[in-house]
Parts: sequence; C-alpha cells; structure tokens
Amino acid sequence: MWERIKNWLEVRIGLDDLVRSQVTDYRVPKNINIFYTLGFVAAIGYLIQVLSGIMLLIHYVPHPDHAFKSVQDIMLKVPFGWLFRQMHVVGSNLMIAAIGLHMLTVFLMGNYKRPRELTWVGGALLLLVTIAFGFSGYLLPWTQLSYWATTVVTSIPTAVPVVGDVVARVLRGGDQVTGTTLSRFFAFHVSVLPPLFLILAGMHVFLIKRIGISATPFGLPAEEKRPWTEYHKKSHADGYPYYPRFFQMDMLMVMVYLALMFFLITVAPNLFFPEEATVPADPFRTPPHVHPEWYLLAPYQMLRIIPNKFLGIIIQLALFLLFLLWPFFDTEKEKNIMKRPMLRVLFLFAFVLWVILMFWGGY
Amino acid sequence: MRYLALSLMMVMMLPSFAAAGYQEDFAREFLSKTWAGERIEENACIDCHSSDQMKPAFREITDEWKKSWHAKNNVFCQDCHGGDPKDPSLSMTHQRGFLGAPDARQVPEFCGKCHIGILKNYLESGHGKALRSTGKGPNCVVCHGSHNVQPANIEIINEQRCSKCHSYERAKVMKQALFLVEKKAGEITDGIKALRRAGIYTAEQERALFNTQAEFRTLFHTVDVSLVNERTDEFTRKLGAIERDIRGTFIELRSRKNFSAFLMALFSGMGVVIFLLSRPPNK
Repeated sequence: MWERIKNWLEVRIGLDDLVRSQVTDYRVPKNINIFYTLGFVAAIGYLIQVLSGIMLLIHYVPHPDHAFKSVQDIMLKVPFGWLFRQMHVVGSNLMIAAIGLHMLTVFLMGNYKRPRELTWVGGALLLLVTIAFGFSGYLLPWTQLSYWATTVVTSIPTAVPVVGDVVARVLRGGDQVTGTTLSRFFAFHVSVLPPLFLILAGMHVFLIKRIGISATPFGLPAEEKRPWTEYHKKSHADGYPYYPRFFQMDMLMVMVYLALMFFLITVAPNLFFPEEATVPADPFRTPPHVHPEWYLLAPYQMLRIIPNKFLGIIIQLALFLLFLLWPFFDTEKEKNIMKRPMLRVLFLFAFVLWVILMFWGGY
Repeated sequence: MRYLALSLMMVMMLPSFAAAGYQEDFAREFLSKTWAGERIEENACIDCHSSDQMKPAFREITDEWKKSWHAKNNVFCQDCHGGDPKDPSLSMTHQRGFLGAPDARQVPEFCGKCHIGILKNYLESGHGKALRSTGKGPNCVVCHGSHNVQPANIEIINEQRCSKCHSYERAKVMKQALFLVEKKAGEITDGIKALRRAGIYTAEQERALFNTQAEFRTLFHTVDVSLVNERTDEFTRKLGAIERDIRGTFIELRSRKNFSAFLMALFSGMGVVIFLLSRPPNK
C-alpha cells in the first residue's frame, strides 16, 4: 500500500529526485560551523510564530473594548492559551535574536561578499520585517505598556518636516493611537507581514540554493577571487552531504532554540510582561517610564539624546541604509575579518555603542 | 566607498557627545502633545492654589490633594466643592455651583454625595446623631482627614483619636470586632499584589475585594458592635471565596511552570540525543 502511494507520488512530483537533489546530494562546505544553522532556526522560529499566532487569533478580538479582555481570557481561561501566548511572545523575541545573530555571524565571516550581495539585502529586509512583526504585535494586547510604547514610536516621524505629521497620521489612522490604529496594526500583523516575510524568505533561500553556500574564511583558503561576471554555482563537490550531517546540526540548534524558549517561560515568565503589561490601556494616564522592546532600545535612545530630532532620524536612516547595502560599500576582496584590522575596530566600536545605547535606553 | 562607510559610522559617535539633558526634551516633545493621547486640561483651582500669590495654608491644599487617594482616582476639587475649573474668572461663583468649604454639620452630606451607603449608616449612628443634635459629633474629616484622604484602615480607630470625645473602651471593642475581617482583607490584598507581580490581571479579584470591604466598612459606620459581630461570618465567607480564587490561581501558575519545565527537559533531552546520534563525517 505504502509503495503504491509512493509510486503514485513519484510519477507525479518526482519526490525521490527532489530529496536527492535538495537533501542527500546537496553538499555543504567542509568547514561549515554551527552558526550556519541560524537561518534554519529562524525559519523554524517563524513556523512556531505562525502556529501559536493561529491559536491566539481564534480567541483574540481586535477592538479597544475587547482586546485587553480577550488577551487576559487567553491567559487565564482558554485551555493552554497561556502557553501559546508565552510561546508567541518569547518566540518573537528569540526569532529577532536568531536573525540578528545570523546577520552578525554572516558579517563576521564575510559571507555577504560578491556574489551574495542580494542574499544579504534579503536577510536585512527579513530582519526589518521581523521587527515590524514585533512592533505591530506589541500594540495588540492593548495594555498601558503597548499603548504608550506605540504612541512614542508612531510620534517619531513627526520630527520630519512637511511629511512627518502625515506619516504619523497614516500609521495611527488619526491624531492619536485609537481603535483605528489597533485595526491597522492587526491587519498589518496578520495579513500583510506574513506573505511579505514568505516572499523575502523564498527569495533568500532561492539565492542561497542558486549561488551555493559560502564557506567560512577561517581555516581554509579563501574562495576564488576572479570577478563574478558569469554564473557559476559553488557546489562544494568535496563537501559533506546536507543529510545527515548538517541536518543533524540544524535539528540540534532547533532543540537548543526550543529548550531556551521553554527555559525562559519556566524561569522568567514575566520577562516580557512587566506590571504595565497587565494594566489595560488608558489614554488619559501616561506611565512614568515608556520605552519600546529591547531590540528598538538602541535607536530609541539615540533619538532621545540627539538634540535635533530630524537629524536623529536622518542619522538612523543613513545607518539603516549602510547596514542594508553594506556589501556594496565593502568591496574589499578579503573575507577574513582577522586580516582586516580597520573593519574589526569599526565593528567593535559599533557593537559596543549599540550595547551601551540599548542598556541606556532601558533606564 | 569605504571612506563613505567609515564616515557614516563615525556619525554614530554623536550620541556619546550629546548630553543626557535632551532626554527631557524628548519626553516633552513626544509625550505631551495632544496627539500623543495625553489630554492635559486647564484646572483653575489647581493653578491658582499652586501659585505663589496664594497664602501658604491654601497652597498646601493642592499639595495634600495630589498625594491623596482621591487624586489617584481622578476625584478633583470641583467634585466636592463645586465650581468650574475651566473658567478662572467665574470658577468660584454660585452660578457655577461653587459650594466653598463646608462647616462641620455640612461635611457628611458633602462626602455623602459619593459615599451614599456610608452616609445613611453614619446618620443613623451615635456619631451622626450627636453631630446633628449638638453640632459637635465627629464628622468624616475628623477620622479621614480632608484633602490628603488615604484608603481607610483599622488603625484609624485609636485611643488618641477616639478618646478626644469618649472613653476608648467602646471603640476598642469595635476594633476587635473589625479585626478578623480586616486582617483577612489585608492578606488578600497581599495575595493580589503577588498575583500582579506574577503577571496576572487581577481586576476581578480586586473588584470583589473592594465591594466586600466597602460593604463591611459601610456597616462599621453604624458604630453598632453587635451588628458588626453578627455579620462578620458573612463577610469572612465572601473573603474566603476570593482567597480560594487567588490560591487556585497560584496553583495554576505552579502547574504551568512544571509543564513548561517538562517541555524544556523534553527538548533538551532531544537535543542531547541528536548530538549523540550525530555521526562523524565520512572520510
């Protein structure tokens, strides 16, 4: 029976061939390391978000009069609702951390270099979409914390002359954060961002498959340096097959990701739910300390300390473009960061500054 | 190109030179605009009473009110004293319903506009009857204060206060009658605080506690010890139900912790198995 089903499928979709070309015969570089699994981990992270998000969607009501109550019902009355919400909230933070770490290791290993510029740009856009997921989802529980953090962040564009107020208005659907804002953010969170993420992830994977995985610059001679004027795939004929070796590494890291997620849910269930997150939104009462989630703290703090808000926004946009288009700025052929002291210093400087601003922003 | 990148990175140094004082500008700019949701209304009472031109004794009124339970619950000057806080020129006129400061006999009706049940019990009590007949009985502010009103607690009944008018013995018996219920209510308040710290929304329990406590304290204003003793069981039962609810939530939180710890152990174990099963690379 099983054989007959297999044959039926084989004739129609060529499953064996697909598995052979994409899994068992697909080769990865010999000196591949554990950090190469982070992209796969982020993809699994996305899957967890989708599944837990669907469970939340069944009970959530995107209306200012009901949003807070429905989220509290999910936490207190819906069977295992608390688990799906915790997984969704902790998972969103872990997913951003996984993608951030993925970008960081790709940067340190110089894997964004020619011909993988577009793979980097796709990855950076995926990080941006994931942060947009986090930001839009943050408002949905309609708590004091989410309401005022959204108020602050949607106020930031108003510092831009001429168009700033219009941008803030479009984001909020009015002069203030209201039910209209909640509807907009909800629609954006569940119907605009997911397909956008899938399209970008599809492009990202397509580029990785087409060009081939980049070997690390450490331990082995660097990849060929001739100009990339015509297409040739890096197939790593002397490398290891993806299955089972690299697949096992992927799965090991997925287990680490899941264990870390449940570790946080067990040991620090309130890590992402401070007291303000259990108080319903009150537009008439500004809480004393308003700040966004940890991943937006550094840009937030930078805006707070630069005297001119417009200048602050311009600097942030310039830095984002620099990050997004970094492979086009860094045209040096050398991949190994250990042989590039200037880049190393620059990286350390930016990294330390980011960490300082992040902690500073939390106060 | 590299120099352009370099110079852009250097721009990141700007924040280190910037002074932290700009943070206040940020808060002012982004949090106090009307579109940011905070609607600050002009209040003539607070503005005038806070100004330097006001006598110090009158200035203290707003400072005291700001610290009060009323202020925390959005009960403003006009809610007790009448008048129109939006119109400085006419705010203290009778046309705008200004009542001014009440004399001792008027105080119960003043507070009773909101605290209706308490007013009824108070007026029927020895305290209320004394005030009405002689004008010298204790009114609300004698025990609760006027502007810096704080949530009531059992310590309001004390020898120093009660013995101004009569012996403390009767008051002491009343305090003992209140003790059991008030103690339980205090424990429940602590439990609610702990639940809130654990990230649980406690509005339902808070409402139940508030209603029970308010009903019990309303009863106290009759100053009838036997009536309080008679109904103590009823209130203890009500508080017991809230207490069981809180205890149930703590048990639920513990089981959640155990379940997520089990999942953590499960995935950690699977990780270890995968690690052990990982075959060394083919040579």
